[in-house]
Amino acid sequence: MTPNVAIVHVNYPHGPNFRLWLPLFLLWVPAIVLAPFILLGLLIACVISGVPFWRSVGAGWALVCSLPGTDVRVATEGNRVLVRIL
Amino acid sequence: MNENRRQILEMLAAGKITADEAERLLAALDPEPVSVGASSAGTGGGRGTGTKAIPKYLRVLVEADESMTGNKGLTTVNVRVPMQLLRAGVRLAALIPQQAHNQLDQALSSHGVPLTVSQIKPENLEELIDHLEDLTVDVDGKEGNQTKVRVFCE
Repeated sequence: MTPNVAIVHVNYPHGPNFRLWLPLFLLWVPAIVLAPFILLGLLIACVISGVPFWRSVGAGWALVCSLPGTDVRVATEGNRVLVRIL
Repeated sequence: MNENRRQILEMLAAGKITADEAERLLAALDPEPVSVGASSAGTGGGRGTGTKAIPKYLRVLVEADESMTGNKGLTTVNVRVPMQLLRAGVRLAALIPQQAHNQLDQALSSHGVPLTVSQIKPENLEELIDHLEDLTVDVDGKEGNQTKVRVFCE
C-alpha cells in the first residue's frame, strides 16, 4: 500500500506548534501526469549506469509501498518533532 | 474428539465391542490428536515457545545526554522502521552499480564501518532480514555518560 498521509508535529516549548497532515495521496495526480517523463529519465539513468530498468522500478516501488508505518520522533531541549507516515 | 472416545468406551461398556476392537478404534483416533497437536504447534502452541510472532518493525531508541549532544537535558530519538522498508532498502542497495561498490566500501571503511556492500545480494536478503528479527542491541554509556541505545524488532 502506498503512503497516503504524512503527519508532522513540531512542538516548541516557547513557541508555535505545528500539526500538519500532508495528504500524500494527492501527489498521485502529478505523479501520474509526469510518469512518462519520470520513467524516461529513469530509463536513461539506468542505461547509463548499467542498472536493470525493471528491477530498479520494482525496488523503488517496493520502497515507496513500504513507507507506511514509519515513525520518527526526536525530542531535545523541550522541542519535539514527530514524523509519521500512514 | 472426547465425544468419539466416550462413544467407544460406552460401546465397550455396553458390550457392543470387545476390548481389542475398542483398542483398535482408540488407536485409530490417536493419529488425529497428534496431527492436531502438530498443527497447533505452528499456531496456538507456537505462541509459547515454538514459533514466534513475525516482527513488523525495527525500533531504534537513543537517549543521549548533554555530553554527547551539547544540548541541555536528554535528547531522545525514537525511530520505528517497517521491516518491509529494510527489505526494500536492501533490494535497492543490490542495484548499486559495481563500479560504485569499491568507492562505497572505501568510504564506509574510512568511517569505521567495515561493510562490503557487494556482499549484500538479493538471494541473501531474506536470510539477512530473518537474522535481523532476532537482533537486540543494548548499549549503555559508562563513566557518567547516560547515553543509551536500544535496537530491537517488535
